[in-house]
Amino acid sequence: MRPVVLIAVNFVREQRWPILVMLLWVLLLAFLGLTTGAARQRDDLLLVFKQVAVYFVAFSVFFGCSAIYNERRSRRILSVLSKAVSRQQYLSGLVLGITIACAIYCFALGITGSWTLGEAGFPVAQVWFLMVCLIAACTLAGTVALMFSTFLNPFFAAGATAAVMVLPAVLSSKPGLGYLDNVMPVSKLCITLLNSSFGAPGKVSWSPIILAAIETLVFWLLSARIFSYVDIAVSVE
Amino acid sequence: MNAMGYVLEFERVTKEYRASLSRRRFRALDNFSLQVEAEEIFGFLGPNGAGKTTAIHLAMGFMRPTHGCGRLLGEPFGHAVARRRVGFLPENIALYPRRAERLVRFYGAINGMKAAYLDKRAAQVLEMVGLQDDAKRNVSRFSRGMLQRVGLAQALVNDPELLILDEPTSALDPVARVTVRELLLAARQAGKTIFLSSHLLSEVELVCDRVAVLHHGRLVRMGRTADLLQSSERAEIMARGITPSSFTGAVAQDGLVKISVLGCQQRETLERIWDLGGEVISVVPQRRSLEEIFLEATADAESPSEKGAQ
Repeated sequence: MRPVVLIAVNFVREQRWPILVMLLWVLLLAFLGLTTGAARQRDDLLLVFKQVAVYFVAFSVFFGCSAIYNERRSRRILSVLSKAVSRQQYLSGLVLGITIACAIYCFALGITGSWTLGEAGFPVAQVWFLMVCLIAACTLAGTVALMFSTFLNPFFAAGATAAVMVLPAVLSSKPGLGYLDNVMPVSKLCITLLNSSFGAPGKVSWSPIILAAIETLVFWLLSARIFSYVDIAVSVE
Repeated sequence: MNAMGYVLEFERVTKEYRASLSRRRFRALDNFSLQVEAEEIFGFLGPNGAGKTTAIHLAMGFMRPTHGCGRLLGEPFGHAVARRRVGFLPENIALYPRRAERLVRFYGAINGMKAAYLDKRAAQVLEMVGLQDDAKRNVSRFSRGMLQRVGLAQALVNDPELLILDEPTSALDPVARVTVRELLLAARQAGKTIFLSSHLLSEVELVCDRVAVLHHGRLVRMGRTADLLQSSERAEIMARGITPSSFTGAVAQDGLVKISVLGCQQRETLERIWDLGGEVISVVPQRRSLEEIFLEATADAESPSEKGAQ
């Protein structure tokens, strides 16, 4: 477990600048909360909150797509995998790293959101529930991206991830395909977040979160299986 | 390690690379077999593109062989637990930008070393590679030679049984090279095995117990360094009173005849000179370098085996 945690922490450390840039959006929300009357501008505040939250799903896809590619291109992966670290552990480290990055962001957003939106009358417990939804969505999206990046370059991996996440939701609107809505819960979790309002903050439903956690595990296993066959020393250029 | 005492073993290993958008294949290793015994320094030689790094990457589990198999410290290639007892220095090492001491500790920690011992050991290995004064500096500001030494430190941090070094002295200055050479000899003295891939044949000749020459993915020569050098020992005989045409390869020089012969043919040649009524002026033993043996071995080897689409 220790190598997994060390690889995860190392991943977060390497991604510290993008994470800090994303945290600037949270600062923007805090700034709006300070400078505007929270009660008067509450709908604007909620809109910014939702936007800032959903951006991070896209960011987690970029983290997932580029993690292995960057490590292989820089050849740093060789000195890590030359130690007693299996490829499964390495991938677990990256998935945990993506989760930690999401957790840092969601925690910061949760604190700011519960302060600004809470003051405007939005239930604080619902803010934190939405943050749990966001972590689950980001982790799943990042893991799917990581899985594709084991055999595709980051550009195609991002495209494939977007297709896998969005297509079931799009197709579910067709008659008789409604069940597809539950196939990939990222869109469902994002919709839960985007549909919440002061009038209807949304109800707490854990099933998409549990499904996202199970699918994260499945995609992690799949990526570990694929990655075990990859010649990592071959140039990715 | 297996019953034969091999710490590293390749058994009829073939590795083919395939270009991503074509069916064309390039064979980097061709039916390659090799055994490295415990407590020896093994020199792995070959020109660029011979397949040395491919063989090392297979041993480390970075890639899978197309055919054949191999064992590292008694375990199949790619076995993570076996790598705990291995130190590896890749060619052109790339490191995370952080303080040298922290970096070495990071590599030790992911290799399962305990924190209490690791602090002491990190300082110790950095001192061994001569970086004790730069331990607190970020490696992103290091020169290539210094990076190579940090790479060597991370390879040594777990006190490995087997050290696999891919061009360890390529970026080092002469003083640092001597340090590394002494380090390798001390490691062997301590019972470690070293698998050393290098282009610096003079270095290899100085430290290696055995060498193998790889060319176009095939093993073209292997043996004990001393035996290889001895078997190809030659002597230069200067004589007078004979004609150069009496001996193959003899040349006239300043009124004398110069004959270059293998050590094993020396006695026979001298007797023949005397039989022909000649007089031997001098016999000078000529010891060939590993470089000459290497050039000879690679020149004799076959052309590249490249496979087209079937």
